[in-house]
Amino acid sequence: MSNKDFTQLYQEWQQQVKDRLVKAPERKQRFATSSDIEVDRVYLPEQIDGAYMGKLGFPGEYPYTRGVQPTMYRGRLWTMRQYAGFGTAEETNKRFRYLLKQGQTGLSVAFDLPTQIGYDSDDPMAAGEVGKVGVAIDSLEDMETLFDGIPLDQVSTSMTINAPASVLLAMYIAVAEKQGVPSSKLSGTIQNDILKEYIARGTYIFPPKPSMRLITDIFAYCSEHVPKWNTISISGYHIREAGATAVQEVAFTLADGIAYVEAALQAGLDIDRFAPQLSFFFNGHNHFFEEIAKFRAARRIWARLMRERFGAKNPKSWQFRVHTQTGGSTLTAQQPDNNIVRVTIQALAAVLGGTQSLHTNSRDEALALPTEESARIALRTQQIIAYESGVTDTVDPLAGSWYVEYLTDQIELRALEYMEKIEKMGGAVAAVEAGYMQREIHKQAYETQRKIEAGEQLVVGMNCFQLEDEPQPELLRVDPSIGRKQKEKLDALRARRDNAITEQTLARLRQGAEGTENLMPLILDCVRHYATIGEICGVLREVFGEYRAV
Amino acid sequence: MEKKIRVLVAKPGLDGHDRGALVIAQALRDEGMEVVYTGLRQTPAQIVNAAIQEDVDCIGLSCLSGAHNELFPEVVRLLRERQADDILVIGGGVIPQEDIPFLESAGIAKVFTPGSPTKDIAAFIRQRVQPKSVNVTKPPKKIAHIGIAVHSIEAALPFYCRVLGLKLLGCEEVAGEQVKIAFLEIGESRLELLEPLGPDSPVARFLTKRGEGIHHIALEVDDLEQRLSSLKENGVSLLNDTPREGAHQAQIAFLHPKQAGGVLFELCQHPGKVRRAGADE
Repeated sequence: MSNKDFTQLYQEWQQQVKDRLVKAPERKQRFATSSDIEVDRVYLPEQIDGAYMGKLGFPGEYPYTRGVQPTMYRGRLWTMRQYAGFGTAEETNKRFRYLLKQGQTGLSVAFDLPTQIGYDSDDPMAAGEVGKVGVAIDSLEDMETLFDGIPLDQVSTSMTINAPASVLLAMYIAVAEKQGVPSSKLSGTIQNDILKEYIARGTYIFPPKPSMRLITDIFAYCSEHVPKWNTISISGYHIREAGATAVQEVAFTLADGIAYVEAALQAGLDIDRFAPQLSFFFNGHNHFFEEIAKFRAARRIWARLMRERFGAKNPKSWQFRVHTQTGGSTLTAQQPDNNIVRVTIQALAAVLGGTQSLHTNSRDEALALPTEESARIALRTQQIIAYESGVTDTVDPLAGSWYVEYLTDQIELRALEYMEKIEKMGGAVAAVEAGYMQREIHKQAYETQRKIEAGEQLVVGMNCFQLEDEPQPELLRVDPSIGRKQKEKLDALRARRDNAITEQTLARLRQGAEGTENLMPLILDCVRHYATIGEICGVLREVFGEYRAV
Repeated sequence: MEKKIRVLVAKPGLDGHDRGALVIAQALRDEGMEVVYTGLRQTPAQIVNAAIQEDVDCIGLSCLSGAHNELFPEVVRLLRERQADDILVIGGGVIPQEDIPFLESAGIAKVFTPGSPTKDIAAFIRQRVQPKSVNVTKPPKKIAHIGIAVHSIEAALPFYCRVLGLKLLGCEEVAGEQVKIAFLEIGESRLELLEPLGPDSPVARFLTKRGEGIHHIALEVDDLEQRLSSLKENGVSLLNDTPREGAHQAQIAFLHPKQAGGVLFELCQHPGKVRRAGADE
C-alpha cells in the first residue's frame, strides 16, 4: 500500500468515529488544555505507513495496541471499581451503598476464604476465617441481603470467585430473578480463572480437568443466557503479586488464556460466541513506563493470537479488555500514607495503558482490610486522575515515544518467547501441573527479596528513609462474633427450607456431574432451593475429587 | 558435625498467599537450616503433627487472611497438649501491631511483620533455638570502662576531677574512631570521656541523636577473636565481626545495641593478655 492509501484509511476511520459519535457522544464537545490548546482525539506520526499500521493501528482497531475503543476515555471513563467485602452480607451491603453514593461506578465483591473454597461458615475447615478477607456467603439468603436495595440491571458487578464461580453466578442470577431482572440484562464479571489459582493464588478446589469443564459450562451457558456477562477474568494480577515480572505476567496470563480458548473449542463452542466475553485482569505495578508498555503489548499479542491462530472473525473476539488493580505487594506496612503516592503512580500507569476498569488499593493494605476513610482516599485517587489530570483528553498519549514503543516491542518479544516454551511443554495446564510457572515466579520473588535486603532495590520507608517511631494507624476490625452469627443463620435456614426438595436438586447435580451435561442449570436449581455453597461443592468434591498442590 | 536447625514453615487456615512463606523457607535454607514446608490449607492439628513427626526446632506460621488470632494460639495450645512446647513458634503475615502483644502472650515467640529482613528472622531462630551454646562461653573478667560522650573534654573534666575527685590518667586520640579520649581511674575500672574529632565520628552522631551521656560499657575479655566468632555463629549481631584497634593498642569490637535493650557493649582485650590457640608461634 502507498502512503496515500494509508491516509485514506485514516480518513475512513475518522468517518466511522464520527458516525459513532452521533449515537455515543464524547464527554465534552471540545477538549483543551489550560492554555486553550485544543486537544485532538488521537495523535499520529506525520507519515502513516505499513510499519505503523502493523504495530499500532488506529484506536479501537486491530491490533488494538492503542486501545480497544476508538475514543477511549474521551467517550467514557474507565469503570471505577473498588473491591470490597468483609464480615456479614449486611455490613458489606452497607459498604456497597456507601461506595455507590461516593461516585463508584461498579461493584466488586470480595468473598471470604470459606466461600472461595466452597465451605459453609460452620465447617471445621472454616475456623477463624469466616468474614475475614471478604463477605461470608453460605446460601442465596446471604446473597439476597448482599444486594438488598441495589437494582442489578443498573449496576455492573465483578465477583472475585474462582473454583465455585458457577455457584455464585447462579446465586446472582437467582437474586436478579427475585428482583424481576432477566439474566440477559445482567452485566458484570466472575473471575473464574482456575489456572492462576494453581499457579499463584491458592483457592482451588477441584483438579484441573473438572475445573476446566465447570469453566466451559459457564462459557456455554452465558453465551446463551447472560450475554453481557464477562465469563472469565484471566488474571495476571496474582501471578505478579506472587513475584513475577511484567513479562512473566503477560506471558503466563496469555498462556492461560490460550488454554481456556482451547478448552472451549474442544467442548464444541464457537469461538466468536464465547471469545467476546473473555476479559483480563492485570496488576498496576511500580515501573511506570514498563507498566504502560505491558498493557499495549498484551493487547497486540492477544489480538494477533485470536485472529491469526484461532481464526476469530468477530473483532470483539480480538479485543483484550482488562481490569487493573494496583499492586498490593508493592505497599509497605511502614509509613502507610506513602502508599497513597505509590497507588497514584500505579493507577496513572494503568490509565495511560488503557485499562477498562480500575481498583486502587487503600494505604492500609499491608496492615489490614481498608477502613472506610482509606477506601475513600483510594477512590478519590482515581477521580483526581480522571477529572483533574487531563490524561483522559486524548487516546494513548504515549504512543510514538521511542522509549515506550521500544518497551512495548520488548515485552511482546520476551513474552512470546515464554509462551512458546509453555506451548512446547504441552500448554498452560501441563505447565501448571509440572509446577513450571510456580517455580519461575518463586525464583523471581526470592531474587526481589534479596535485592531489597541487599539495598539494591530501594523501598522508601522500608529499607531507606525509615522512621524510628511509627504512629499506628486506625485499622478495620472484623467483628469476631461473625462466625457464630453465620452458624445461627445456617441452622435457621436448614430448619426452615424444604429439605426434601433441596436434597432432590443436589442429587440431580450429582447425576449431572457424573455425566457430561452442562452443570449451570442444575446448580441454578440447587441455589434457588437454598442449597448451601458447602452442600453444592461437597457434592462436586465427591464426584470430582480435590486438587493437591505439586 | 553440628546438628542443623530444623524449621517447619506452615500455612494455617485457608489463606493462599504463600510468597512470603516460600521466600522465608528458601532464605532459611540458604542460612544453613533444614526447612520443611507444609503447603497450603493446614489445620493447627496437622501443623503440630508435622512438627512432631519432623522433629523440628521451630515452627514459622504465615497468615495473611486475618485469622492469626484464632489459628496461631491454637498451634501453641496443641503443642503444649502434646508436650512439645519446647518447639519455638514464630509468626508473620498481615498482622496489625495491636495484635502482637496478644499473640506473644499466647506463646508466639516473635511476630515478623511485612518488611522484616530474612536475616533477622534467621538470627532470631538461631539465638532462641541454641541458647546453650551461647552460655558456655565464660563471663567477661570485669568492666574495663564506661564510655561517656561529651561535647568537650575540657569543659567536662572539672566535674569529674574536682567534684567527684577522680584521677585523670591521660588523654589519647584514636584516629580510626575519630575520637579523643580522657581516662579517669576508678578502682580496677575507668571512666572514659569521649569527644568527637569530626562530624563523621560515631560519637558525634550519638551526640546529635541523644545528647551527652553514657555511650557504652566495655567488658574486658581475654579471648576476643574466638568469642566474636562464637557469638556470630549463634546469630548475635555484631557491629564489628573482627577486632579493631582502640585506645592503648587494645583490640576492641562492639555488639549491636538492639539485642541489649539499647545498651552499646564493647568487648576489649588489652595487649599482653592475648591467648592464642596452640600458642607457640
